[in-house]
Amino acid sequence: MTNQPISSRPGFCGRTRREFLWETGAGFTGVALSGLLDEGFLNQQAVAADGTTRWQNPLRAKDPHFDPKATNVIFLYMYGGPSHIDTFDYKPRMKGMDGKTVDVKTFGRGGRKNKGRIVETRWNFKQHGQCGQWVSDLFPHFSTCVDDVAFLHSMTADSPIHGSAMLMMNSGKILSGSPCLGSWMNYGLGSVNENLPGFVVMLDPRGGPISGAKNWSAGYMPANYQATLVRAQGSPILNLKLPSGLNQSMQRRLLDTLRAYNEQHRVKRSDNSDLAARIASYELAYKMQTTAPEATDLSSETEATQKMYGLDRKESTPFGSQCLMARRLVERGVRFVQIYSGGNHNDANWDAHGDLKRNHDMHALETDKPITGLINDLKQRGLFEKTLVVWGGEFGRQPTAEYAKGTGRDHNSYGFTMWMAGGGIKGGTSVGKTDELGSRAVEDRLHVRNLHATVLQQMGLDPNRLSYFFNGLDRKLVGVEGAEPIHQII
Amino acid sequence: MNRSVVTAWFACALLSPVLAEAADPVLSPREQVAFFSSKVKPLLVKRCFKCHGGTKIKGGLHLDSRSGIMKGGDSGQAINLKRPLKSLLLEAVNYELEGYEMPPSGKLPAEQIAILARWVRMGLPVTPDFSGKIGNQPRSASPMVTPETKRFWSFQPVKRPAVPAVRDRRRVINSIDAFVQSRLDAAGLTPAAPVSRVALLRRASYDLTGLPPTPAEVEDFLADQSPRAFERVVDRLLDSPHYGERWARHWLDLVRYAETNSYERDGAKPFVWRYRDYVIRSLNADKPFDQFTREQLAGDELDTVTPETQIATGYYRLGIWQDEPVDREQELFEDLDDHVRTTGEVFLGLTVGCARCHEHKLDPISQRDYYRLLAFFRNIRRYGVRGRNTVESASITSIASEADRKKNQKLVVQHQQELKVIQREIREFLVTVKPLLKGGEVDDFKREKNRVPILKKKVPGKLPRAKFDAYVKLVARRDRLRKYKPPGLAVALVVKENGPTVPQSYVQIRGNAHARGEKVEPGFLEILSPPKPNIRPPAKGAKSSNRRRALAEWITTPSNPLTARVLANRLWQYHFGRGIVRSPNNFGLQGRPPTHPRLLDWLASELVDGGWKLKRMHRLIMLSATYRMSSAPSQAGLKADPTNNLFWRFDMRRLSAEEIRDSVLAVNGALNRGKMFGPSIYTIIPNEIKHGQSQPGSGWGNSPPAERNRRSIYVHVKRSLVVPMFETFDGADLDTSCPVRFTTTQPTQSLALLNGQFSNREAEVFARLVRGQAGKDRAKQVTLALSRATQRRPTEKEVRRGVALIEALEKQDKASPEQALKYFCLLTLNLNEFLYLD
Repeated sequence: MTNQPISSRPGFCGRTRREFLWETGAGFTGVALSGLLDEGFLNQQAVAADGTTRWQNPLRAKDPHFDPKATNVIFLYMYGGPSHIDTFDYKPRMKGMDGKTVDVKTFGRGGRKNKGRIVETRWNFKQHGQCGQWVSDLFPHFSTCVDDVAFLHSMTADSPIHGSAMLMMNSGKILSGSPCLGSWMNYGLGSVNENLPGFVVMLDPRGGPISGAKNWSAGYMPANYQATLVRAQGSPILNLKLPSGLNQSMQRRLLDTLRAYNEQHRVKRSDNSDLAARIASYELAYKMQTTAPEATDLSSETEATQKMYGLDRKESTPFGSQCLMARRLVERGVRFVQIYSGGNHNDANWDAHGDLKRNHDMHALETDKPITGLINDLKQRGLFEKTLVVWGGEFGRQPTAEYAKGTGRDHNSYGFTMWMAGGGIKGGTSVGKTDELGSRAVEDRLHVRNLHATVLQQMGLDPNRLSYFFNGLDRKLVGVEGAEPIHQII
Repeated sequence: MNRSVVTAWFACALLSPVLAEAADPVLSPREQVAFFSSKVKPLLVKRCFKCHGGTKIKGGLHLDSRSGIMKGGDSGQAINLKRPLKSLLLEAVNYELEGYEMPPSGKLPAEQIAILARWVRMGLPVTPDFSGKIGNQPRSASPMVTPETKRFWSFQPVKRPAVPAVRDRRRVINSIDAFVQSRLDAAGLTPAAPVSRVALLRRASYDLTGLPPTPAEVEDFLADQSPRAFERVVDRLLDSPHYGERWARHWLDLVRYAETNSYERDGAKPFVWRYRDYVIRSLNADKPFDQFTREQLAGDELDTVTPETQIATGYYRLGIWQDEPVDREQELFEDLDDHVRTTGEVFLGLTVGCARCHEHKLDPISQRDYYRLLAFFRNIRRYGVRGRNTVESASITSIASEADRKKNQKLVVQHQQELKVIQREIREFLVTVKPLLKGGEVDDFKREKNRVPILKKKVPGKLPRAKFDAYVKLVARRDRLRKYKPPGLAVALVVKENGPTVPQSYVQIRGNAHARGEKVEPGFLEILSPPKPNIRPPAKGAKSSNRRRALAEWITTPSNPLTARVLANRLWQYHFGRGIVRSPNNFGLQGRPPTHPRLLDWLASELVDGGWKLKRMHRLIMLSATYRMSSAPSQAGLKADPTNNLFWRFDMRRLSAEEIRDSVLAVNGALNRGKMFGPSIYTIIPNEIKHGQSQPGSGWGNSPPAERNRRSIYVHVKRSLVVPMFETFDGADLDTSCPVRFTTTQPTQSLALLNGQFSNREAEVFARLVRGQAGKDRAKQVTLALSRATQRRPTEKEVRRGVALIEALEKQDKASPEQALKYFCLLTLNLNEFLYLD
């Protein structure tokens, strides 16, 4: 199988890519993480089938559509759906209404309802910073950062059910099978660090989200665009650790011999760049065994830094370690890092159907200091300007109680809050409003697609231009209708 | 949103300001125009033009001219002058239809909505500058059904082309070679020399069975010097049961086969493996493809319905299933879309699904076409509503034979009687011991679990031990009987309809399940100038409408221009690595044109004339000189045709994910080749991967080693937990039809084969086999390991290189001989020669 030369222009939506895909038929190939294929190697061996065109790999760093404001994204995914009216969307009119039954249209896992019993927020709100953003006392640390943050109070999504809503937040569609935001980054921008993946996902130690790998899949794109799971404990990446009984010198010996066999095999097949790519991929794998553990090793961080991320407290250590790892990965060029706060089911994530107070107190404590530490650390290292931080879950929560008793709130995709910071986002701003109860967005309504469009835009990709040809259509993350980025905050 | 909600919303709309102003004073025409310019136009400009005015037009709707507004957009008419309140425009600004909230950034104030409503009621009076032709261009440049588009090659009937003449007959074995060589002649190229015998055997074995040839098969072939040696190999492989296991994988890729539903629960599909077995059996039996198609699409509507044809309809149950839909009606149409899309792409090679929300933008397929095709499936019951019971009712049926049923009935009766007798004995005994109970014991005794402990206290004084023991035995026997019921009757996952009457089908505006457009009846794609569907009237009390049968019959009519071409192309693709049409699921205007159109038509004619039998086609293709060419490059070929458009050589290919796993097990002798069919098996998935699940390990079981070592086709396919080996090596996407596998080369693949649990475990097994057969002699070990992995005898140099590695590992790294050999065996599983075929 041979490689078709790819145009050196980033022809994202033109015929070039489409032709390329079809031209190669079953042979859509290339070494991910091009690093090892340095100039010398490429010029020497890796040429395309015509014997002259230089072979290029699909994950090579590509030029964005325009000068990007941000080069990296850290998406802090609050799985389960944090309640907006208990965190950042202050509703003073609800004061004193606790327990009252009101007419309000809601739609959650319990179906559609037209009235419900108000659950007043269990936390106090105060205004913070120059901008006067209201924040509940769930986030004592993060409240000091509000002047760096843009709040999106009028988010809406297409589904109030976890499975499909998570797919929507991650891939823009409520049906499974589409590539995730990070895959679009990998596809559109490639990777600048050859020794590390371009799209990294870190999961809560309590478990993954529902639908598991569907949340970081490359969907209809080839597998090299999908996320790599990175773990905070043990070997950070699957298969990175040497099998027991094998040390590095033995492995080196083995690889040298393997290379000798493979080079001999290649002599009569020199036109097939896949074979060269595969030989190269072993060297790359060998290098990853040392670079990836280094990138995720927190022991070289000072105590002060570790403390900043909350590593001095048991509750905030897991998420704090992941935030700190995220910073280290971003420093090393990883394009897109997604960290899950919450996993598994029920109260192991933000899905507060039972005891709202206990649930949100726990998850806020776990994340408040790490997130604050991340923002401050990025700032002090000069990375904040170029790193876009996104916070939020797949939806928010209802103003009313889910059951006859208790404080639990059902899901709410009609209106919820997310925030963005860094990466060229205007700090101290907020967009949109929900109604007096926070039951739905009423002003400047935003859709998940607008959020995706904003992320792409900041990364230098035109959301309405970045497309991938599949099944007879130029697919876009923001859908066929397209979507505008949120101009108010960029 | 379900229907009652829509009604409720309309009821709400009645109370909104829109109607409250119905009593507005009647304005003169002049006043109406003034109303437009002072109130309406500024509003349109300010709130609507950004997306519906000038050059930027979303949804095909122009709001910058009256003609544009009247014309409407992709969703249909924006204005209903007869019933103004039902105008889509007003419903959109009133936020009445989910997904149509306009403007999307926020609802207009009530007084502005009222202005628009009043204007619509007036009949859209405008100033002259607004009436014009602005925005009156055609809605989109979608290709239409015209005599010209009808002439497109793939829409034309297949005509058997004459076999062309070639310059040099010596390299022609059959007609395929003539078609290929005549093109090479024209380009001044010569076909590559025949490939070496070992490489040919390897190519053919993997091609037909997905497995490497065994050492004995290599020996036999090399020893057979007759000119018919290869023919005998092909026949042997076609007769092998492994043929079905390999080619079923291609089909399963196409029909997005998976064994779970995706989404939150990703629950297992009961008995779905019967469909997989059906495909394997059908292929092994060389079932004609037209029959294969009819069984899958309408196996429950055929003249003779058998368990086999019922299982075949599992085809409709393979897709993803949302058991917790946001909007049930919409979800029903998602399922129907899955049927239209998959059937369109798999059987017809057309991306019909693109016409769901609007006219197909690239092909002459209208939205009406889409919904007429959907009408064939409209009566299908959803896979389930929610939960196990609903799935059983909607998708599970008994496939037991009458004899089985009778036999089973006997067992059931026998079982019930036995149980009855024991229960009576127990009751009688309990009556006799009642007088022994004291005080609280009387109450406690009512609970089954307390009885034995209470009675035990009475032994032997009040209750003889023998009697007590007899009671304990009775209870144990009863429990055993309750637990082990006679085996249930065989059931299968099938399609079911809601009886013989089908709900009316409509064009669903913009694909919205709640927005009905014109009525449509079942019909085939207009561009193919099809006949009217022949839908047999269903018998009284029939379980289905016979619509799918009509569809299946049209698809398999020899005169259908697409079906045979699409299949012939796929056969070619799976043999040669790429189709004659490189977009095998898209034969439309934007699909890739065939590199060898006449060869494709010739193959399609052969296929139909040969009774749609696949094995005959495999034989024909594989015995051609074209198939037996070497993959070696030639300067002239690379220069003139670097992508091998003309087939001047055979393309190398990497093994697929499943072939890699099966080959590792074949090479190390662990593969369980004998056991075919049945419920799927579980391989070992590393905990790190399971940790990505919300409940680590859920939905994944353990299989004993012999089971675990069965072929990959029998591994459980869980949508949210894909076996890492398959994922890493580009397994098929499971949610939509996968016509072509990607072949990526990534360091994660190298890491998996080098450090992964699977390869290391199997390398150890390999080392034991090698040591057992070759003894302690290192040269013999290396020779055996290399020849098992590559199916050829290694050169002396290659043996020396391997021996050197083993010696170095032992001497310098102090590895034990077992370890050193294991690592050499691991190396062989990482060879390019192991993973690539010439």
